[in-house]
Amino acid sequence: MMAQAENILGSIGGLPEPTGDEVVQAIDVYKNFGRLEVLKGVSLTVRRGEVVVVIGPSGSGKTTFVRCINHLEKIQGGRIFVNGHMIGYREARGRLVEDRGRNIARQRREIGMVFQRFNLFHHKTALGNVIEAPIQVLGMKRDEAVALGRDLLARVGLASKAEAYPAQLSGGQQQRVAIARALAMKPKLMLFDEPTSALDPEMIGEVLEVMRELAREGMTMIVVSHEMGFAREVADRVVMMDDGQILEEGPPARLFGQPAHKRTQAFLSKIL
Amino acid sequence: MSFDWPFFWHYLFRPSGAYLHGLMLTVVLSVVAQTLGTILGLFAALGRMSRLTPLRLVVRGYIWIMRGTPLLVQIVFIYTGLAAGGIFRFQDISLGFMTIPGNVQAGLLALSLNEAAYMAEIIRAGIASVDHGQTEAAKSLGMTYGQLMRRIVLPQAARFVIPPLGNEFNAMLKNTTLVSVIGVPELLLTTETLTSATFRVFELYSVVALYYLTLTTIWGWVQARIEAKFGQSTAQAEAVAGFGERLFGRALFGAARSKA
Repeated sequence: MMAQAENILGSIGGLPEPTGDEVVQAIDVYKNFGRLEVLKGVSLTVRRGEVVVVIGPSGSGKTTFVRCINHLEKIQGGRIFVNGHMIGYREARGRLVEDRGRNIARQRREIGMVFQRFNLFHHKTALGNVIEAPIQVLGMKRDEAVALGRDLLARVGLASKAEAYPAQLSGGQQQRVAIARALAMKPKLMLFDEPTSALDPEMIGEVLEVMRELAREGMTMIVVSHEMGFAREVADRVVMMDDGQILEEGPPARLFGQPAHKRTQAFLSKIL
Repeated sequence: MSFDWPFFWHYLFRPSGAYLHGLMLTVVLSVVAQTLGTILGLFAALGRMSRLTPLRLVVRGYIWIMRGTPLLVQIVFIYTGLAAGGIFRFQDISLGFMTIPGNVQAGLLALSLNEAAYMAEIIRAGIASVDHGQTEAAKSLGMTYGQLMRRIVLPQAARFVIPPLGNEFNAMLKNTTLVSVIGVPELLLTTETLTSATFRVFELYSVVALYYLTLTTIWGWVQARIEAKFGQSTAQAEAVAGFGERLFGRALFGAARSKA
């Protein structure tokens, strides 16, 4: 369908190499919104180049968990390491203290995130969206950023839309701009929070195509998704969450073929 | 009815030097107070939305007091009240080429502080109008609070803020009359001085009314142009960003670009 979706990471100088083998290490993460417990001791390790798809019923905490990984949500217990750095907190006399905003911002640079609702900057063109952070955050020269931005947009099939504003783009196009925007920061990890849930059915394919290509090029990815076909085909591991906990995890063939838990079976039977 | 037409025409079209000075003072006071009020209002708006509860409470208290008491009372309080209480007396400041009298400083301060409270609420609403998802996206790209405010949120809030800002400036042009009570020789006080010398109240107040009407009409025209230019259409979104950057970005945050 999209012949352009070829070697996307070439434009950012190839795959950004994570420092260690374990890109994400979440240990016993607890999170509550007031009295509502959303995460009840979630532990997950994601290795370099792995694609992990997180599934589960709505309200199971999967989106919240992914948002904790780049500290868009505070956590009340546990620790999350990305590339060996603890995210959002530092230890002071045995207690966790929230880190300074500047440090958190620095940590987020190497974690790309794609949102369900795209969240493009409305007042900037597609190109403007992509070059904003490289220029502002990394201090890249404008010419260099523009060249990078155009290249990235071309590789997600949007060469002709560089000057378009988000309001002039379809949902699928906006989401591909959002992916290019995240990639422009040369992230070592990509988080996808239900990236196709807000899309019309005919646009889901073009976004999944780009994600599939990223996975093929070795990007480490955590994807919250209801796209079981994508999970089956692309995921190295599928993680089933329910009620704030990881119920089970495993290779897609095993988890979809012989789910160990009744609740996984029930969930899969509803969605497949 | 007694209306001295020749007198009226004379003062309308051949204003004295003192009168023109009053007019200039009115315009300068309005522009400076609105500018300071907007800048201060921006910080008050950010403080009002801060995560720090004490800061939030202080700003709320400030807005509560400034909006809940008459501007006239604030002006007299700041200039005459503080001096009478032995707390602070405004002294003339000499800049070499000009002198800023104490009462002008006090008037300017009162107008700015008062305006800041109103602008804070307007800017807060403007910031709230920018959907939170963009803030999260900016954060996820590693932008700091300052960067995301300056580059993402405020340029878009500006579009929302510009129409009420125009109305505020219209009100400001007229509110400057209040500093006449502390002896600032702006347009109204100049008129009063003339009145006490000539007793031509009807004619002179007609003249001064027309002067204010002219000022607000000119501003209304400028405002309409600005709003037309920075309307909602997508094609002009770029221009909006440019204006927002000029209004909030460059002016406030200077060259503090991406030092990281």
